[in-house]
Amino acid sequence: MELIDGYPASMRESIALVERTRPARLGRTFPAMSLEERKALLLGHHPDYQAGAKRPLRFGPSKGLLLNHELADLFEARPLVRPNLDLSTIDADVDLLVIGGGGAGTVAAIWAVQSGLDPARVLIATKLRHGDSNSTMAQGGIQAADRPEDSPVQHFLDVMGGGHFTNRPDLVRALVSDAPLIIQWHERLGVMYDKDSQGRFVENPGGGTSRNRMHSARDYTGLEIMRVLRDEARNLGIRVIEFSPAIELLGDESGRVAGAVLLNLETRRYYIVRAAATVLTTGGLGRVHIQRFPTTNHYGATGDGLVLAYRAGAELVDLDAVQYHPTGAAFPAQMAGLLITEKVRGLGAQPLNRLGEQFVFPLEPRDVEAAAFIRECGERGLGIPTPHGICGVWLDAPMVDLIHGPGTIRAALPAMYRMYTRFGIDMTRDPILVFPTLHYQNGGVAADEHGATRVPGLFVAGEVMGGIHGKNRLMGNSLLDFNVFGRRAGIAAAHYARAHRPGRLSLAHVAEYERMLREAGVETTRTAPRILPDYRGKEALERYLDVPV
Amino acid sequence: MQLAYYPGCTIKVSAREHERAALAILRELGIALREMPEWNCCGVVHTLTGENLIRQMAPLRVLARLRQQGEREAVTLCDMCFNTLARANHLARTQPDQVSALNATSGGGLDYDGAGEVLHLLHLLRDRVGLAAIRKRVRRPLRDLVVYPYYGCKLLRPTGIGLDDPEMPTLLRDLMESLGATVVEGSLQTQCCGAYLAVDRAGLVTERVGATVEQARDAGAGAIVLSCPLCHFNFATLQPHAGAPLPVLYYTQAIGLAFGLDPAELGLDDRQMEALGRAVPSQALHDLAHARGGSA
Amino acid sequence: MSEPATLVTMELMGKEYRVPSGLTILAAIEYAGYKLVRGVGCRGGFCGACPTLYRREGSHRIFTALACQTLVEDGMCLVQMPFVPVPTKPYDLHGITPQPTTLLRFFPEIAGCVACNTCTRACPQGLPVMDYIQAALRGDIERVAMLSFDCIACGICSSRCPADIKHYAVGLLARRIYGKYLVPPSEDLAVRVSAIEAGRYDAELRKLMELPLADLRARYEQRNFETVAEQHRDHSATQRYNSPMDPVDYQDELEGV
Repeated sequence: MELIDGYPASMRESIALVERTRPARLGRTFPAMSLEERKALLLGHHPDYQAGAKRPLRFGPSKGLLLNHELADLFEARPLVRPNLDLSTIDADVDLLVIGGGGAGTVAAIWAVQSGLDPARVLIATKLRHGDSNSTMAQGGIQAADRPEDSPVQHFLDVMGGGHFTNRPDLVRALVSDAPLIIQWHERLGVMYDKDSQGRFVENPGGGTSRNRMHSARDYTGLEIMRVLRDEARNLGIRVIEFSPAIELLGDESGRVAGAVLLNLETRRYYIVRAAATVLTTGGLGRVHIQRFPTTNHYGATGDGLVLAYRAGAELVDLDAVQYHPTGAAFPAQMAGLLITEKVRGLGAQPLNRLGEQFVFPLEPRDVEAAAFIRECGERGLGIPTPHGICGVWLDAPMVDLIHGPGTIRAALPAMYRMYTRFGIDMTRDPILVFPTLHYQNGGVAADEHGATRVPGLFVAGEVMGGIHGKNRLMGNSLLDFNVFGRRAGIAAAHYARAHRPGRLSLAHVAEYERMLREAGVETTRTAPRILPDYRGKEALERYLDVPV
Repeated sequence: MQLAYYPGCTIKVSAREHERAALAILRELGIALREMPEWNCCGVVHTLTGENLIRQMAPLRVLARLRQQGEREAVTLCDMCFNTLARANHLARTQPDQVSALNATSGGGLDYDGAGEVLHLLHLLRDRVGLAAIRKRVRRPLRDLVVYPYYGCKLLRPTGIGLDDPEMPTLLRDLMESLGATVVEGSLQTQCCGAYLAVDRAGLVTERVGATVEQARDAGAGAIVLSCPLCHFNFATLQPHAGAPLPVLYYTQAIGLAFGLDPAELGLDDRQMEALGRAVPSQALHDLAHARGGSA
Repeated sequence: MSEPATLVTMELMGKEYRVPSGLTILAAIEYAGYKLVRGVGCRGGFCGACPTLYRREGSHRIFTALACQTLVEDGMCLVQMPFVPVPTKPYDLHGITPQPTTLLRFFPEIAGCVACNTCTRACPQGLPVMDYIQAALRGDIERVAMLSFDCIACGICSSRCPADIKHYAVGLLARRIYGKYLVPPSEDLAVRVSAIEAGRYDAELRKLMELPLADLRARYEQRNFETVAEQHRDHSATQRYNSPMDPVDYQDELEGV
C-alpha cells in the first residue's frame, strides 16, 4: 500500500478537507450537549446500551446484575483450584497481603507501612512485574481542585454528573476531598508534575470538567507517579513477589478473608499466603475484549479480582457500564486501540468527520464523546474508512501547536508524538485517526469509603473497586482514585490487621461457589481467573485489527 | 624437562612449520613443551596500535559536537580539559585514520575532521585581546601585591600543545605585571603539583605543595596565582598547617581585582579578601575589600 | 487485514518463523505461537517490559527495540530480554540535601563513563542517555531530570554499558530530588489542603449529598465553565526541554559495513 507521509491517498483526500476548514474552526468550538441530548445519544449509540450484548448474573450476592457476555463468562466459570487443596503448609505468613502491584496496591502497601505495619510483614503479590499496570499507562493527568477558582465542591458536581448521578456520594466526597492531599503527598515524594517557575501547577481541562484541574507530567503522568511510588515502596523495604498472581482468596473458619493462593507463573507451583488483612488491587478488565473492542489496557488486565472477590462473597456494583475511551488510535493498524490521551483534546484538538466538520463538543464526558464518534462513523456514515477495515474520526492534532505555540506537541505530548513518529505519521502536521477503545471498567467490587467490602478482612482499591465513578468515569479521576482509595484501604487494612489474627485457612467459599454454579445450571469447561489473554496464532491479527481474520 | 608452552595465534595459523621444527628439536634435546590447556591471544592487535583509543572517545566527541553545532573554536578555562582536548585534536590532525577507525567501530557520532580549535582562556587574553588592552582596562593596579605565578604541568606540556615554553614560561609573569603586580619566581613554578598521585601517594602532594609555598614565601610572595583548578584545590587545601596559608588566586580573579570588580562577583569572600589584605597592606586592596559592590 | 499481508521471515530464539509483515515484533512472536509471560507488559510503549535485542541481515551490530513498538522486519534475528537487574541501595529521599555531588555519592560508578554513547544508541525511547549521565557527573540535577524524564526503565542502557552504570536509577533519583527540592511547592495547593483539613467544604459537600436528584441535576446544569484561555502561565520547566525523539536508525552502517 502506497503511503504519503504515513497515510494512503484515500485518507489524504479527507485530510485536505480538514486543512481547508481549519482556519475557520480555530476559536470556534461545537457547543456542548444538554443532559437530555446526552441521554438520547447514549441510548442510541453507546455499546453499553445495545440490546443482546448482556445477560444477568444468575447467582450470588449481585444476582440480576446485567453484564456484558464476556464479563458474565468470567463469573460463570470454574475455579482453578479445588476446594480440598492442601493448605497445611503456609509459604508466607504476613500482616497484610496486597494483591496487585499497580498503583493502588503500591499506595496501599506504602500507607499500611506508614500506619505502623512492619514492611517485612507486608507482601505485594503481582501478576507480572511490580508496576506493570494500567496506572503506568495513564497519560493525561490527575484531577485535584487546588486552584482558587476551583473547589472540591465543584469537583464533586463534575464527578456526579459525569457518572450520570449513579455514583455513591460518600465515595465521591472522599475522592474530591482527598485529592489535594494526594497531590501534596506526591509533591513531597518528588513526583515531577508540570509546574511553572513559581511552583504553580500547569492545569488543563478534561472531558466533563468545568474547571482546569488536570495535573500532568508531560503525557507520562501515570508512569511518573508509578515509578516514584515503586521506588518509595522499595526504599521502605516492602516485600514484592512478581509473576505470581492470586488465583483464589483464602478464608478462615470465622468467614474472614485470610490471604490467597498465588500461582508462580514460571514454576506453576502454588504459593500459600496467610494474611491478617488482604487488599485486592487487581485493576481492570480490558483484556477480556468486551464486545470485541480493542483495548488500551495492560496485558494483565483480565478482571481477575472481580472473580476472586465475588467468590469470597463480595458484592458488585455498576459493572453493567464499561468505559470506551473515545480516542483509541484507529490508524495505522499496528496502533489500533492504543490510547490517545484526552489531553490532546484538552489542549484544543477538535474531533472532525470525513468532511473536516466538527460534530461534537470536544470535551463531553467520555461515554458521550465515544457515542458521538460511533454515531458519526455508523448511522451518519461520515467516518473515515481505513485500508484495514475499521473506521474512525479525525482528531485535528496540529491545532494544539496553532493554539499554544509551535513545539507544544513535542513538549507536552512526547509519548503521543513519539508513538506516531515510530509509525511514520507527524502529528504536528497531520490530524490523527481515532475510534473508541475499551478503556476502563467503571464499576467493580462494592466497598465503603475505606475500601472495606462486606467480607471482613477484604479491602479493595483502584479500578477493581466500584461505585466511585458510577456509570462513567471522568478523565483524571483514575490516577486520583487509586491514590485516594489505595491510601484509605492501606490505612484501614493496617488497623484491621493489628486487631485480628487469621484462623485456620479454608476454601469453603470455593465449594459454596461451585454449588451455586451447579444450582444455577451453569455447565462449562471455562475457568477463571483468566490470568493472561491468549493471542497465539491468528488471534494476534484479530486483536490488532478488530476484524475476524 | 617439561615446560608449559604458550603458542600464540600466528604460530597456529601461518607459522605451523616453526612450531613443528621447535617441538622436533626440543624433543631431540629432551625437552617437552606442554601447551597451556586454555589460552588467549597475546593482545598484540591492541598493543601494536600504540594508542588507547577508548580514552579518546570523550574528547573527540566534544570536538565532533563542536563542529556539528556549527562552531570552529571553543574556549576552555580548565587546564586539564584544555590539555585533553588539544591532544585529541592533535591526534585527529596527525592520525585521522585512527579517528575514522574509532568512529566506524562505535556507531558514528565521532566523525571529526580535526578542523576545530581549542583555545585556553590564556590564549585568548594573550593573543587576541593582548596584554596592552588588559593594561589599559586596569582601574586599581595591584601595586603592592607580590605574586608567585604557578604554572604546574598541563598548561605547558607537551611541547606543541602547551601555551608557553615548558621550562621558562613567562605568560603569567607578563600578565601579572600588566596588572601592576610585582612578580617573584622560582624553580618549582613548573613542577607538577602531584594531583595525579593524590590517591596513591597522598603525602607527595602535601610535600610538593609545601615546598612550593615555602619557595614563594621565601621570595616574598603575598599570594600564589595559578590557572589549573586541580592545582588550586591542592594549594588551597593542603598547605602545611603552621601559620596562615598563603592566599591562592586564579589569574582571572587577579585581573578582576585590577579591573576594580566587586570581589563577590569574582568568587572571593570576605575571608579570602582579608587574607589577601593581611598579606599585602595595600590601600587599593583594602579599599576593595570594603567597597562592596563598588566597581571603580 | 483486508488485503493479504506479505510474509517475512524472522528468527526467534534460534527458530525461523514466517509471519505477516506489518506486525509489531510482539504480535509476530504471538503469531508464531508463543504465549508470553516475560518480555511483555503494557503493550503500549509505557512499561518497558519488552526490550528486544536483534540483528539484521548484513550488519554485525546489535540493535535494540521495544517489541510492542517496533515492526518486524524480514531477516530479523531476535530475542527478548526479560529483565535487567538494576539493584540499588535503599535511600531516604526525605533526608537528602541536594548537592552537586549527591548523584555521584549514590552512584559512584557514573565516574567510569567513557562517553562511548552506547547507552544513547541503545535507548528505544531515543533519550540522550549519555548526556544525562554526563550531567549527573557534573551535578546538574535539573538537566538529568529533564533529559531522563521520558525513561520507561526498560534497562537496555544498563545491559549495554561497559562501565556498568545503572542509568535509569540515576535518572529516577535525580527526578525525585528535582521534584521534591528544586521546584517550589505550590502555594495554592498548601492553602487548599489547610482549608480541607479545617473542614471548610464539609457542610457544602454534605448539602450536595443530601440534595434530591432533580436539584442536583439542576446544580450540575448550571455550572459555569472555565476556558483554556483563562490560564496564562509560563511553560513549566518540564516543557522547556523538548523531549528527544526516536533513535536514529543506523541505516548508513548497514550500507557501509
